[in-house]
Amino acid sequence: MERVQLSARQLFMLAILFEHGSAIVIPLGVDAKQDVWLAILCGMALGSLLFLVYYRLFTYYPTVPFTSYSQQIVGTFFGKGIALVYVLYFLYIAARVLRDFGELLLTFAYPETPLFVLNAVMMLTIMYAAYKGIEVLARAGELFFAFLYLIAVLGFVLVIVVGVIDIHRLQPVLEEGWKRVFKVVFTQTLYVPFGEMIVFTMLFPYVNERKKVKIAGWLAIWLSGINLALTMAMNIAVIGADAVSRSTFPLLNTIQEIRIANFLERLDVLFMIALVIGGFFKISVFFYAGVIGAADLFQIKEHQRLIYPLGLAVLLLSIAIANNFAEHIKEGLNIVTIYMHIPLQVVIPVLLLIIAAIRNRHM
Amino acid sequence: MLFQWKVSKRKNTINEQSGQAQTVPSGEIDNRLDANIETIRRTTGNSTDVVIRRFMLGKEKNIQAAIIFLSGIVDESMIYQFLLESVVQIDFPSSCLPNEALLYVEQKIAAAGKMRRMKQWNHLFLSLMSGETLLFVDGVSEALSIDTKGGEHRAIEEPSTQLAIRGPREGFTESLGTNIAMIRRRIKNPNLWVEAITIGEVTQTNVSLMYIKGIANDEIVEEVRTRLRRIHIDAILESGYIEQLIEDQTFTTFPTIYHTERPDIVAANLLEGRIAILVEGTPFVLVAPAVFIQFFQAVEDYYARFDIATALRLLRVLIFFLSLIAPALYIALTTFHQEMIPTQLVIAIAAQRESVPFPAFVEALMMEVTFEILREAGVRLPRAIGQAVSIVGALVIGQAAVEAGIVSSTMVIIVSITAIASFATPSFAIAISARLIRFLLMFLATLFGLYGIMIGVIFMTLHLCSLRSFGVPYMSPLAPLIPTNIGDTLFRFPIWALKERPRLINETNMIRQGKQQRPMPPNESKKEGDDH
Repeated sequence: MERVQLSARQLFMLAILFEHGSAIVIPLGVDAKQDVWLAILCGMALGSLLFLVYYRLFTYYPTVPFTSYSQQIVGTFFGKGIALVYVLYFLYIAARVLRDFGELLLTFAYPETPLFVLNAVMMLTIMYAAYKGIEVLARAGELFFAFLYLIAVLGFVLVIVVGVIDIHRLQPVLEEGWKRVFKVVFTQTLYVPFGEMIVFTMLFPYVNERKKVKIAGWLAIWLSGINLALTMAMNIAVIGADAVSRSTFPLLNTIQEIRIANFLERLDVLFMIALVIGGFFKISVFFYAGVIGAADLFQIKEHQRLIYPLGLAVLLLSIAIANNFAEHIKEGLNIVTIYMHIPLQVVIPVLLLIIAAIRNRHM
Repeated sequence: MLFQWKVSKRKNTINEQSGQAQTVPSGEIDNRLDANIETIRRTTGNSTDVVIRRFMLGKEKNIQAAIIFLSGIVDESMIYQFLLESVVQIDFPSSCLPNEALLYVEQKIAAAGKMRRMKQWNHLFLSLMSGETLLFVDGVSEALSIDTKGGEHRAIEEPSTQLAIRGPREGFTESLGTNIAMIRRRIKNPNLWVEAITIGEVTQTNVSLMYIKGIANDEIVEEVRTRLRRIHIDAILESGYIEQLIEDQTFTTFPTIYHTERPDIVAANLLEGRIAILVEGTPFVLVAPAVFIQFFQAVEDYYARFDIATALRLLRVLIFFLSLIAPALYIALTTFHQEMIPTQLVIAIAAQRESVPFPAFVEALMMEVTFEILREAGVRLPRAIGQAVSIVGALVIGQAAVEAGIVSSTMVIIVSITAIASFATPSFAIAISARLIRFLLMFLATLFGLYGIMIGVIFMTLHLCSLRSFGVPYMSPLAPLIPTNIGDTLFRFPIWALKERPRLINETNMIRQGKQQRPMPPNESKKEGDDH
């Protein structure tokens, strides 16, 4: 473990950037049609319960990361197995998000540039961030948080001022009842992005104000949930549910609707900024968690040593993960959710918590 | 083995460089005057500025004595009018011994301030070289060193960098004593402490450390002290030497130590708990620890009213980013993202670029390099020729290049804006680092367009966040965010709202003003008083 300290505020801002990450630009949970904002809010509510599980685990073992206390809970052998699975999971998700990011960039602005080059440039930046450590990443997060919020507010105000919002596009609410909403919640929005907070179990021990961890995490989940719901609702109100569900970047289509006085138009750059900064923080947090998890598991004192091999592995994995974007998305929705997100974000943490609670019942 | 060999070799080279250790005679002085004078002559190689004036002391004028000084760095009128005259005119008792004569001189002369008895040659030579006058008496194995420092100095003038419309007009000079006095005059407090250190084996440069005891963080003071003491080098000719030898990280384009020519800036920084390092022979005083935002704070921000100061400060941050990314943005937009430019503008740019035979990157690089050449030429040229260069430059960078179809006129506008922007940053140190990064960003923009610029900016931000200046995070109080200090960063809150000193720099003595410093009209303040 690095000997650094994060404040609760830094954790909060890092979590916000992480949650927004790629979720804000992709069509998140659009299967719920115009009720997508409800699906996100429900996902957020359940996600904060899930976060409570992660937090309770942390309160039992406040000084070590997840990969260490898994060994204390179920014994060295099984614990190491679980830790290894999680390290691989974090790195795999880092590679997945990197692929998402590269593909989005490719279709959005760089049709001629090879995917590998785009991903490699991003990965280099992320490796540099991981090399500098979580403290530097958190500080950069504070700066970009302010910057991103400024841009987001600007975008919102512009969309409202332009008058392209049509509230009727959000109606009818609950057209097909709660069933469709909850189907989306339990197959998509609960896990991405809210369940992904599991990765922060690797970062909690760095926080110097332990009592504020819970509220910081919750605030981050709530605020980002509300922001995401608002953004998706805005997308639907501007371009309609059908267009949103067919679009690759609903946010981009919304931003392109902004036209003021033949001057302020084509603000695609705002979208680009959100995409790159969000993608950077999301992949960085996953990658860093994977790296320190591996360092912790294999007892390597300087996590920096692992950055080059693991960074290269993530980069190559991001290319080899799927033959094309469609396959990649399909894998993400069908396979990753069932075989990775549900067991690793929900089942194992809950089981670990039960065992930990039994073991520590005399505390 | 190899390592040890290296170390011993290095030691040798330092000894060879440090001329003093080799040629200055070790040990104490002789009691014969002639021998001593001979030693001084030999050691200084008969240098012509060493003045040796022999005379006789005592009632019967039977004791040989001599004063020795370096002309030019002493106050000669003082030596001749007061020192020499009063030494000769002292009313010595009859038949006094040489030893008593020296004692008499030491006690009776009131003309000079500081006076010390010395025996060691190395001390004597150091005094002589720094402008003191030595008095030798035949038959005494001790000499008197009298402080007669003086000589020609540049007068206090208006500083040539960091000009201000409102604010004091005096700037530091090359004289250490004058500089310390200028700060003292601003902070009349016994807690303003000055420590002297001599650095430089050959140059023996005087360096002073200044801080306010009780406000400055003792740990940082100690850190600065150890870093200064660690310096083992032949020469310190400017504060830049020290800056480079004590900064936290060398491999960065960003300055982690602040330097200034203005005493009011140094005073303000001392009051915030920072430490000033004054170096003899240069008007530039170092201030540490420095944070990033400090380089955007012009001194006038604090003298002007807060709303104007805030607006100007935001403008400066904008200017910094403009000077960083303007050419890169031009390259990215014209090569990769034409769709992001409004249609009419993109047509206009395309029409101009029709005749330009180069890609945007080459075009931008050519103009940027041209500008850098002009600037570099302008800095060092004599003023008379400088005029000619600026006329030629205006033609080259302006119309001729466009008419010849080498660059587009949009590019000229971009380069001009960048150039002006890079001059508008209040600190030259940060503007020059922006210039370097600008070229990097241009290169990234050529390869990856906007994505490249953003990657570059993220890289730069990570780098900035990883920097520290004497342990203080460089981006504080923005990152890590310190809400109580945010009032003096991108904004400048009213003076009465800036209640605390920077939190990471000093940790104990935080409050800098009383409660309710906000000015209130008499009626309101009375009401307030009734409430309490």
